[in-house]
Amino acid sequence: LNERLCFPEGYVTTILEDAKIYSSHAKKSSVDADDVRLAIQCRTDQSFTSPPPRDVRKTVLGIREPGSREGWEVTVSLQFLLDIARQKNQTPLPLIKPYSGPRLPPDRYCLTAPNYRLKSLQKKVSSSAGRITVPRLSVGAVSSRPSTPTLGTPSAQAVSVSAKVGTPVSLTGQRFTVQIPSSQATVKAATPTTPTVQNVLINPSLIGPKNILITTNMVSSQNTSGESNPLKRKHEDDDDYDNL
Amino acid sequence: QSVRHCVFASSFCPAHKLLFGNTIAVGGGVVVEDQPDVSAVLSAYNQQGDPTLYEEYYSGLKHFIECSLDCHRAELSQLFYPLFVHMYLELVYNQHESEAKSFFERFHGDQECYYQDDLRVLSSLTKKEHMKGNETMLDFRTSKFVLRISRDSYQLLKRHLQEKQNNQIWNIVQEHLYIDIFDGMPRSKQQIDAMVGSLAGEAKREANKAKVFFGLLKEPEFDVPLDDEDEEGENEEGKPKKKKPKKDSAGSKSKKQDPNAPPQNRIPLPELKDSDKLDKIMNVKEAARRVRLGPDCLPSICFYTFLNAYQGLTAVDITDDSSMIVGGFADSTVRVWSVTPKKLRSVKTAADLSLIDKESDDVLERIMDEKTASELKILYGHSGPVYGTSFSPDRNYLLSCSEDGTVRLWSLQTFTCLVGYKGHNYPVWDTQFSPYGYYFVSGGHDRVARLWATDHYQPLRIFAGHLADVTCTRFHPNSNYIATGSADRTVRLWDVLNGNCVRIFTGHKGPIHSLAFSPNGRFLATGATDGRVLLWDIGHGLMVGELKGHTDTIYALRFSRDGEILASGSMDNTVRLWDAVKAFEDLETDDFTTATGHINLPENSQDLLLGTYMTKSTPVVHLHFTRRNLLLAAGAYSSQ
Repeated sequence: LNERLCFPEGYVTTILEDAKIYSSHAKKSSVDADDVRLAIQCRTDQSFTSPPPRDVRKTVLGIREPGSREGWEVTVSLQFLLDIARQKNQTPLPLIKPYSGPRLPPDRYCLTAPNYRLKSLQKKVSSSAGRITVPRLSVGAVSSRPSTPTLGTPSAQAVSVSAKVGTPVSLTGQRFTVQIPSSQATVKAATPTTPTVQNVLINPSLIGPKNILITTNMVSSQNTSGESNPLKRKHEDDDDYDNL
Repeated sequence: QSVRHCVFASSFCPAHKLLFGNTIAVGGGVVVEDQPDVSAVLSAYNQQGDPTLYEEYYSGLKHFIECSLDCHRAELSQLFYPLFVHMYLELVYNQHESEAKSFFERFHGDQECYYQDDLRVLSSLTKKEHMKGNETMLDFRTSKFVLRISRDSYQLLKRHLQEKQNNQIWNIVQEHLYIDIFDGMPRSKQQIDAMVGSLAGEAKREANKAKVFFGLLKEPEFDVPLDDEDEEGENEEGKPKKKKPKKDSAGSKSKKQDPNAPPQNRIPLPELKDSDKLDKIMNVKEAARRVRLGPDCLPSICFYTFLNAYQGLTAVDITDDSSMIVGGFADSTVRVWSVTPKKLRSVKTAADLSLIDKESDDVLERIMDEKTASELKILYGHSGPVYGTSFSPDRNYLLSCSEDGTVRLWSLQTFTCLVGYKGHNYPVWDTQFSPYGYYFVSGGHDRVARLWATDHYQPLRIFAGHLADVTCTRFHPNSNYIATGSADRTVRLWDVLNGNCVRIFTGHKGPIHSLAFSPNGRFLATGATDGRVLLWDIGHGLMVGELKGHTDTIYALRFSRDGEILASGSMDNTVRLWDAVKAFEDLETDDFTTATGHINLPENSQDLLLGTYMTKSTPVVHLHFTRRNLLLAAGAYSSQ
């Protein structure tokens, strides 16, 4: 993991690595412009005339680890696209599970997690200046937009679970998501434990007081470590910053 | 390791590239280039001809064609453009710059007017380096341009070219062209002009032979509850049958499987939820009040003008029930408006939701937060102009695609972004939800269209085949097929099940910007920058109509709810209405039994045009028929 951080993958790195190889082949002491030119040319032609390297295939397919660098541009031939398409189109279309709630990818591929971490329970809870997040919806559970006025003081329901599970917590008295106590929460970002009815319709009989809306515990540690930026603006003097 | 790289470098370079002096440019003593084999040099020269003689070859062929019989001349003239481009590109790619320049100057004026845009691009492509980044040109060079010629004309050509002195040009023809021969009368220039124009040439007859299930899926039967509002008492018991005419213009009450319709489970589709059923019931009720349109009963048109958009309006969509309108803008925002007096509301916060009475009848109202009510919601997230927007059929989600290479899924209950789908690494020009939800399609600069499902972060299908950007993507009403329009001037139909391209339609002379399927699923209408609307019979794979009238790019096409009228909206600030019933019924079915791949198109644009409606300098970007057949149009006022 450390290496990935030190040597980011990317177009420039690949070209420079190739150039280094050519340079050493020519027994030169250092890489010069000609080596780089050769490296670029080889890469371009290669993408066009023969099957490109695996990372190019992955880029075109859109396979990317969450948190990884954005794809870089490559010249690809129609033949290459046809190959990739043939490979991709062989898989049968997946069956659709009925009544599985809002059909979204696993949480780490969604933008529904909080991208903030609250420092601690303050006397007055400051709002997130960042993007308001939304948990996996079963029945429209949610956090509202920034312009919604807050309810004021945090309610007594404020759950400070941070001590227990070590994940960022949202205060229920606010506009944020409810953190279900971990015993009830499903950790996997998959189907909810209780069957839910789609989106707008709430089936009242299925909703109990505790699990009214949140289907999953989307605030999982794997999410937030990469994405949450403890907002630098969360200083004491931000406590008065109620509304956005 | 060094040996491996030596082999690598020389083996991937195809022989003919080496012989035209295209060795790997290196400096400083890196020995990577291969010594070209002399015999290899000669054989390649024979295959491609001597580049210095290209002008002679071309003018020789030109002379032959111009002297040929009238009936063959039009067909043989089709060779000019592809040969000109291919020979020019060969000269440029092999670095014969001066020969290329001279060749271009001598012959570019002979080409048909509809190729002018291509020629302009070519004229600036004078060095090999210019070609390197242009995938379209590179692929054009390595693929074969398809020409359709009658057998008689072909025999004439072949006989002439196989004479000894013409062998070189014959080799070039064989190298770069694919001649699809048909048995029948040679085509007239007019017929040819209607169907040529794409970068790939025309479509081979066999490319349009696959069976396509163009029929509609059966709608589920359910009881439509009687309503106090309904005045037509005698229609009440007929209600369950009434919903069929909504989809099938013939009003068929048959329960037998339509042989042209796909099996219900050919592709997995999401189950019908309660809210969907309610919506369908609503649809049926509205359909009962729908205006039957026709030449004597034209729709009223209600135009939604976006003011102060300063040419920043790049995409529009309207929900099926016409309750919301969305605009995608060049400033990367997505703005949703409510069309009805009912305002847009967000769902309440979690704490508030826990306080409401879940048993109450109006719980759906109670979950909405009144404090958030507004007519407009702005969605931020994209980092580039938004080129496509699409509401989900159940109105819970909104899709938007952008120049930033992503497609975003937004919730219309919280008005926040849920997912960003990455895959196209280039601008995405269009996106659309499937008519049944769950699936969506996107197309972009990377020349492919992708099929996605909302719960998969990777595409399920990749539709590759276009030579240039995919500019427009639409689902067929039965969700089993996807139509794509491209900057390579072709329209392709793809099978969602296996990703195969089942139809290729050529005829447009510019990038395609609008596509519309007829409600019965049998026909496709396409509009492009050439100002023509072309009509296609999907089952037979043929062009069946050409609607001339617009003078600028057609950005919007929509059939009325029962398919009687086709509305087109254009950059020329007009909306035109065409008689779709007449356009399709005038076809002579005899023509379809021929294998030629074309029918005689009648010159009936004037007869089919029912009306032209001008706006005050507002290009029309979107068209939508409400459930009662009122036509809504949208565009941004442009003060030029």
